[in-house]
Amino acid sequence: MTLILRRWWPLPALILLLIFPLVFAEPYYHLLGFNVFLFATMATGWNIMGGYAGYRSLGHSAFYGLGAYAAAIAANQLGWNPLISSPILALGVAVFAMLLGWAMLRATGAAFVIASIAMLLIVRLLANNFENITGGAPGLSLPIPPWPPMLSRLPFYYYMLGVLIVAIIVSGFLRRSRFGLGLLAIRDDEGKAEMVGVNTTLYKILAFGISAYFVALGGGVWAYAQTHISPPFAFGITVGVQLILYTMLGGSGTVWGPTLGAFILVPLSDLILFQFGGSPIHLAVLGAVMMAIILFMPRGIIPSIRGWQEARAAPRATHTGALSMEDLQRMQGGKTEGGSPSEAAAAEHERP
Amino acid sequence: MQLPSLNVVLQVAMVGLLTGGVYALMAVGLTLIFGVMRVINIAHGAFLILSAYIAYWLFTLFGLEPVLSVVVSVPLLFVFGMFFQRFALSRIKNDLGLVVLLTFALALVLVGLMGTFWQTTGRSVSTWYVNEVLIIPVGATLKLRLPWVKIGGSVLAIVALGILWAHLKFSDMGRAIRATIQNPTAAQLVGVNIAQIQAFTFGIGLATVAAGGALFSVIWTFTPGSHDEWISKLLSIIVLGGMGSLPGALIAALIMGVAEGLAAVFMTSYISPIVFYLILFLTLILRPQGLLGSRLREG
Repeated sequence: MTLILRRWWPLPALILLLIFPLVFAEPYYHLLGFNVFLFATMATGWNIMGGYAGYRSLGHSAFYGLGAYAAAIAANQLGWNPLISSPILALGVAVFAMLLGWAMLRATGAAFVIASIAMLLIVRLLANNFENITGGAPGLSLPIPPWPPMLSRLPFYYYMLGVLIVAIIVSGFLRRSRFGLGLLAIRDDEGKAEMVGVNTTLYKILAFGISAYFVALGGGVWAYAQTHISPPFAFGITVGVQLILYTMLGGSGTVWGPTLGAFILVPLSDLILFQFGGSPIHLAVLGAVMMAIILFMPRGIIPSIRGWQEARAAPRATHTGALSMEDLQRMQGGKTEGGSPSEAAAAEHERP
Repeated sequence: MQLPSLNVVLQVAMVGLLTGGVYALMAVGLTLIFGVMRVINIAHGAFLILSAYIAYWLFTLFGLEPVLSVVVSVPLLFVFGMFFQRFALSRIKNDLGLVVLLTFALALVLVGLMGTFWQTTGRSVSTWYVNEVLIIPVGATLKLRLPWVKIGGSVLAIVALGILWAHLKFSDMGRAIRATIQNPTAAQLVGVNIAQIQAFTFGIGLATVAAGGALFSVIWTFTPGSHDEWISKLLSIIVLGGMGSLPGALIAALIMGVAEGLAAVFMTSYISPIVFYLILFLTLILRPQGLLGSRLREG
């Protein structure tokens, strides 16, 4: 909670979000709010792997789809309500992700990006072909929510807002923990991180699992809100792309960046979709925005503003979410596990 | 499960080899671009589909022979590739992960635009020869049936690869490209203009996929969305062959062509693409250097 209380604005913002659906009573705004929270949650999850550890996965839609299908199958076969079952089933997806990660995270950099796409395509192909479990290409239907239709999307709105708060607290806690510092060290220089005693393999696998957890949880709730899911939507690559886009716009590797990005871009892309209908032009716009961010603002909004503020306050080195002196000291103080520096240095030498 | 007869296996393997020849042309640009600047061009599949559409429209509107569409698509993609490398990719060349995302974003733009203007129905160029088959009797009971489009496609692919090889082998520009693949710093020290070579290589890479796209348009059915299936096929070829290795890409393309055909016979054709994805996934995590390449590393 210290994270929330350290700043003055999250509380008024939360109150605004709590009364927002009562002021704007049309179901459209409830759905829009739900979508913003959904993608903010999942982008916050993606950021733990892609932003903190620097392993940018393009295949996180695989966990989204797995979460959606797990919730749908549990609802149909066992009668579990997805709002209750999703947080539990997502744990299973996270374990699955860690097993995959154990193999996948041997690949680094661009090889990891390609492996993540391959992972998504394999899972999608399996979902398409195991018809007796997944319903094949036509997909699966879920039960209609039990509350009165008048309430419409309102329960989803508040539920997802709660999940988002949890995600931000977890992400903020991780960012300030030794674990988070280890991830940042991996991003900055994996070899050196290993040398100062970070168990890089374990850290990466854990981060992969945690980031998959929030995406799978989002997928489960999304499936319930949709009431119907099919492979092209549950395992579409665009969901993963959106997560990257929102994170990068807000600021990759920052706690609030993914949420900020989702709050800006989800309503905007809704507007684009509204303008152009369902035509594929929104894909082109999505791609163009992504290119513009990569080329002209690769650091994202929050680090850019922070750098600008610090440059104005005092002409010292800008702090962009990379490790600070204070961070390093904290890490040194807690350094106990892992091989001795000389062992790690020897291992470093063997690398090709 | 009933095992398919030897005849079927032989037939499928022969057609697979021919298919692999065409794959080689479609994939060679991808491995060349990686070799010179360590860039994985995810938009390669989208450019393949784009040049197939160019062939399709030139054929539909003007009756132009699809193979001849290269006079339009090759220069177009070559120039685009030079500009894209010079003015976009080179700006962020220090972050290779970001470069992958940029080419992916470019693919999204291309696919979105193609889907908007040319709809999402499956297209294919149907010339008079698409269904012609060459029948080769082998022994008393066995007849090999080889589609002419695949024979012609692989012959043309080999011709195009030969031109590329000769260019890399004998021209000054080709020598500079090979020098850059071997050691960029040393190449720069002896006076190679790296920025120019990189732009040129990206152009060449897209030019080869434009040529591949012309053949592709006759052999396969395509929609704007099929780019992700094809980019993963092409990636698995160059990863298996060893990223940056041209002979590796050729060998891997032939292997994948045969493997895909056999998978379709032994499993069902719906699930056969999984061969590509699994080979891609497993090569990356078990043998990142592929068959002939150097190790794919973080630059």
